[in-house]
Amino acid sequence: MFVFIIRYFGFLKFIPGLALLFDAQLKLWTLIVNPNLLDWIDDIEHEVLTWPGTTVTTHKYGGLQFNYNGKELGHIHSNGLLDMLLNRKIKQQLMQQDRRVQDHHSFKNSGWISVYMKHHDDKQLALALLERAYNLHADKALNN
Amino acid sequence: MINSIFSPKNNGFVFSNAFGMAAISISKLLMNDFNGTLIFSEFVIVPFLMGIISAWFWRNVNFGSRQLSAWSCYNTVFAIFLSALILKEGVICLVIVAPLLMCFIILGAFTGRRMFKKNNQTLNASIFVMLFGIFVFDSLSVHHYENKVADTIVINAPPAEVWKYVVAYKRIESPSKYWFFRIGMPSPVQSTADGYYQGAKRKCIFSNGYVFDEKIVTYEENKDLTFDITKQPRDPEIMGHIDILRGQFLLKDNHNGTTTLTGNSWYRLYVFPVWYYDIWAESVTRNVHLRVMEHIKQLAETK
Repeated sequence: MFVFIIRYFGFLKFIPGLALLFDAQLKLWTLIVNPNLLDWIDDIEHEVLTWPGTTVTTHKYGGLQFNYNGKELGHIHSNGLLDMLLNRKIKQQLMQQDRRVQDHHSFKNSGWISVYMKHHDDKQLALALLERAYNLHADKALNN
Repeated sequence: MINSIFSPKNNGFVFSNAFGMAAISISKLLMNDFNGTLIFSEFVIVPFLMGIISAWFWRNVNFGSRQLSAWSCYNTVFAIFLSALILKEGVICLVIVAPLLMCFIILGAFTGRRMFKKNNQTLNASIFVMLFGIFVFDSLSVHHYENKVADTIVINAPPAEVWKYVVAYKRIESPSKYWFFRIGMPSPVQSTADGYYQGAKRKCIFSNGYVFDEKIVTYEENKDLTFDITKQPRDPEIMGHIDILRGQFLLKDNHNGTTTLTGNSWYRLYVFPVWYYDIWAESVTRNVHLRVMEHIKQLAETK
């Protein structure tokens, strides 16, 4: 359903506030079908915020965005979809290592990845991925 | 005792709903053209602000997203209950409005939680002023929206046979398939006419006894029947928020023993935003068309 809406109605995301409303609807849906997921997203938020230099904001197209020094590490939509920008090399590696790591739902030929969190184990994967992105950004910041 | 009644949790429910009811009353006073119209702000800005207000009362309560979402849902149920009690809204209207209210109250509650975590008073005040400004501007604006819905079916009978059942038809006995009709929304069951000529009066009778008085304004036998609605019921259910202005049946001879029957309806909506309510209005109007047109098809093809 999510993929269908993004594919055929994705252009509507440019209407101010509509993507946020869609995310609120996802939250409502998640509350009905998989309420634990909302707790896992909270757990991830709490964990990421313990890492130095991180902040959390609302993603422009709905969801929770994790930042390091103002740069996006990734974001989680309220249906548990984690989107992250890494690079193509790491993306290939991760996709070979773990089948839960997929091409981004919209940007196929890019360094973006998507992970659909459905089970408790997926929370650990999401945290591991965010930590990897955090370390990449932190190393880059150190080198600069 | 008092502290348990006015706990942060309860205050979040009570004060956000009190604000909602007050805001709707104010909008009625501000609106120049108030005739039962419910505006965009009442379904978007007000629930959004209700969510923010509840989040302010809940800002020191230690809970997660799951509970905030659930409490926002309870808040919506509370708001819907008050709408039924104070605003005298009907069940079907409330079924239609519930998803919209729920999403905006949840959105407001999560936005509020972020706002009050940041604790930037300038930003918070700016958001309130901006939303209040939109609310006042919307209340003072003119609201007028009309639309037309058209539906077509092919009937295996010539136009002369179909025409017999277009002007008036006997009672529809078959059960309705449309879920809204099944849960109690009135559906068309019969049409009567006091004559077959331009200017004749026609009546469309609905399942709950509602009668739409109509006047035939175009009468071209076997081709075009157009009628204006001269009087229609207004009640707390959906009929109070939409006016059907005109109806039309167009018959086209396909020259192979079949007829293409087109049903057109023009209506005016009294609820906004139209991007939400027009979806429902189109769906209801379409199903009114189809119920009548399927009946005409059945009658014409049985002969």
